[in-house]
Amino acid sequence: MKYFAGIDIGSTAIKISIVDENKNLIGFKISASGSMFYKYAQETLDALINELSLDSNDIVYIVATGYGRKLYKEADENISEITANAIGARAAASDFGEIKTIINIGGQDSKAISLDSEGNVVNFAMNDRCAAGTGKFLDVVALKLEIEVDTLSEYHFKSTGTPLPISSTCAVFAESEIIGLLGNNHGIEDIVCGVHYSIAKRIVKLVKRVGIKEGIYFDGGPALNSGLVNAIENEIGQKIYVPQNPQTTTSFGAAIMGVDSYNYANN
Amino acid sequence: MSIETNHHIESPKEKQNRHKAMEAISLLNSLREDFKAPIESMEYFYDLFERVHCKHESLHDDKTKIGTMCIQIPSEIIYALDGVPIRLCNGFYTDDEIGSDFMPQKACPLVKATVGHFASNNFTDKPDIVFSPTTCDQKTKAGSMIESFGYKFIDVDFPRTKDSEASREYWRRSVKQFALDLSKFQGKKLTKANLKNAIKKIGYAQSLYNKLSDFRKNEVVPILGLDVFLVTNAFFFDKIDNWIEATQKLISELEIRAKEKISPAGKASPRIVYTGSPPIFPNYKIPQIIEESDGIIVADETCSSNRMFNDMVAIDEWNMYDMMDSMSDKYLKACTCPIFTKNEDRIRRVIQLVRDYKADGVIYQAFAGCTVYEMEQRSVLEAMEKEGIPILYLESDYSPSQGGQLSTRVEAFLESLKTRRRNKK
Repeated sequence: MKYFAGIDIGSTAIKISIVDENKNLIGFKISASGSMFYKYAQETLDALINELSLDSNDIVYIVATGYGRKLYKEADENISEITANAIGARAAASDFGEIKTIINIGGQDSKAISLDSEGNVVNFAMNDRCAAGTGKFLDVVALKLEIEVDTLSEYHFKSTGTPLPISSTCAVFAESEIIGLLGNNHGIEDIVCGVHYSIAKRIVKLVKRVGIKEGIYFDGGPALNSGLVNAIENEIGQKIYVPQNPQTTTSFGAAIMGVDSYNYANN
Repeated sequence: MSIETNHHIESPKEKQNRHKAMEAISLLNSLREDFKAPIESMEYFYDLFERVHCKHESLHDDKTKIGTMCIQIPSEIIYALDGVPIRLCNGFYTDDEIGSDFMPQKACPLVKATVGHFASNNFTDKPDIVFSPTTCDQKTKAGSMIESFGYKFIDVDFPRTKDSEASREYWRRSVKQFALDLSKFQGKKLTKANLKNAIKKIGYAQSLYNKLSDFRKNEVVPILGLDVFLVTNAFFFDKIDNWIEATQKLISELEIRAKEKISPAGKASPRIVYTGSPPIFPNYKIPQIIEESDGIIVADETCSSNRMFNDMVAIDEWNMYDMMDSMSDKYLKACTCPIFTKNEDRIRRVIQLVRDYKADGVIYQAFAGCTVYEMEQRSVLEAMEKEGIPILYLESDYSPSQGGQLSTRVEAFLESLKTRRRNKK
C-alpha cells in the first residue's frame, strides 16, 4: 500500500493528514507552528508515521499547503490552501451531499470559497493580514476575559441578556473595548456572545461577496466553537455543516491531491 | 461525518429583534457608562428603551394604537379620542437594511428604516391605523407602499407653503377630516371636554420640556444633549402620564444639579446648537460624537425634539372651532420643516437658539438622501455666516461604519470653537 501526506502549515498550527491510495483518511496530527515551521512540520510528520506504524518510505508523495507551505522544501508539490480546502471539504462531507460554500476561519485570516457542482473553486473572498474575526481574535478575547478559549461556547450559550456589540473587530481595539465592558461589570457571557456575533457578521459579509447558497461547510479551528457556529447560523439564516475534524480539512485535501498527482505522473 | 449541534436557528424576526437589541444596548450602555456625573432619574428612560427595544415589551396592549408618520398629526385629537399616538419614524440601521429592498438606493435612511419596519411586520406595539401627513416626497410615496403591505393607512393632506391664508384653510380642513376619520375608526365622538383636556395635557408636557430646556441655558449645563434626545424620543411612544412623571422627577434632579453646578460636560466644552435631520433612537451617531468629543449640545432644532414641543396651542376661547383652528395653526405655522417653499422661520429659530442658549456654534446634519435638508443647508450656512455664527455641515446615514471620519471633522470644529472663545477673552 502506498500512502500520501498532506501538510498544512498554518500561522497557528501545523496539520498533517495521511491517506491511502484509495483516498481514505488513515490518520492526522495537529501541532503548534511555533517559530520553526520546517522543524516542527518534520517532527510532526515523523511522529504521525510512527503512530500509524508506517515507514517513511511508505509515504510516496507529500503535498504542502497553507501559509508556510513554501518553507517545507521536501514536499513533492505545493498547492494553495484554497484549492486544498475545497478538495478536502468535498471529501469530508461526502455523507452530507453537495458543498457549495466553504467558510474557513484560520489563525490569522478568514475566507469564503464558492464551489461549482464539480467541486471546483469558482470564487473566493478573503480577509487578509488582519486578525479581525479570526482565531487569533478569539485567543485575545479569551485571554482578556481570563478564560480558556475552548470554554467560549459554554459562555455563549449561558448568555441571557442582549449580546454586547463590539464595534471594532480589530483585535487590538477590541481588546480595549472588552476591558471597558469588564470595567463596567458586564457579564462575561454577554460579552462572549457579542464577540461571536461581531465575528459572525463579518464572516457573513465575506460569504455574501461570493454569494450565499445552501450547503455551507465551516472549517478551521474556530469551527470547534459551537457558540460561534450558532452565531454564524443565525446571521446566515441556515444550518451549516461542521466536519468532525474541522482543523484538518485542508491537509486532508492536500493529501487527496497527492494521490491524483502521483497517479497522473506514474500512469 | 459532522459535529452535530442542535441549536435553534433564529427566525428572521428573532434575528431582527436581536440586531435591534444590540444596536439599542450599545447606545444605552454608552449613555449609562461613558459620561461623568450620570443623572439618576435618567434611568427611567434608559430602562424604557431597554424594555421596548431589547426585551421587546409592549406598552399599550389595552389601547388602540394610532401610528403617525410625522409630527404634524395632532396628538391632542388622538388622546381626546382615547387612542395612543405612536410616532413611527425609525432610527434603526437593522430596519434601514430591510427597507433598502423596497426603496431607491439613495433614499433617506429614516424613510428606509420606517418602511423596513413596516415590511418586517415586527412591532412591540403594532399600530391599528396609520395617519401620514403628506410632508416630504419620500414619506408621501412610502405611504402607498406601506399600505400595500396590508396596513390601514390614511394620507392627511399637508400643504407645502405656510405663508398664505389658502394653505392655512387647506390644512385646517385636513385636520378636521383627520378628526372625523379617527372618530369614525374609534367609534367615539370628539367632545369639547375631551379635546380641552388633551390640549392641556400636551401643553403641560410641553411646559415640562421648556423647563428642562431652561437648565441648558445655564453656564454649567446639567444634562447631556443625548439624554434630552432620549427624553423627547420617549414621547414618541411612552404612556404620556408616565412620561410626565419621569420628566418631573428629572427636572427636580436638575434643579439640584444646577444649584450644585454638576455637569457631564467639561469647563471648556463648546456649546452646540444641533439642527437638521432628526436624531431618532438609536441613531444618535452625530450627537454621540459631539458629546464624546467634549462638546455639549445645549439646544436643537429638529423634529424629533425641539420642534415637537416648541410651540404651544394658543387658545382664545375653549370652544370647538377655536380649539381646532388653533391646534391646526400650531402644526402648520410654527413648523420649521424644510419641506416648505420658503423657510425663513427655521433660520430665525436657529439664530434665536444660538443667542438664548449662548451657543458657540451650530452643527447641521443631513441624512444622505434627505434632499430637503441637504438643499436647505445652503441658505442656513449663508445666514449663519452673515451672523458670524460658526457652523459645521455633515452628511451621514445609519451605517455604523462611518465613525472615524466624522469624528475627526467634529473634533476639529469643536477645537476651532474653543480657540475662538479663548481669543475673544
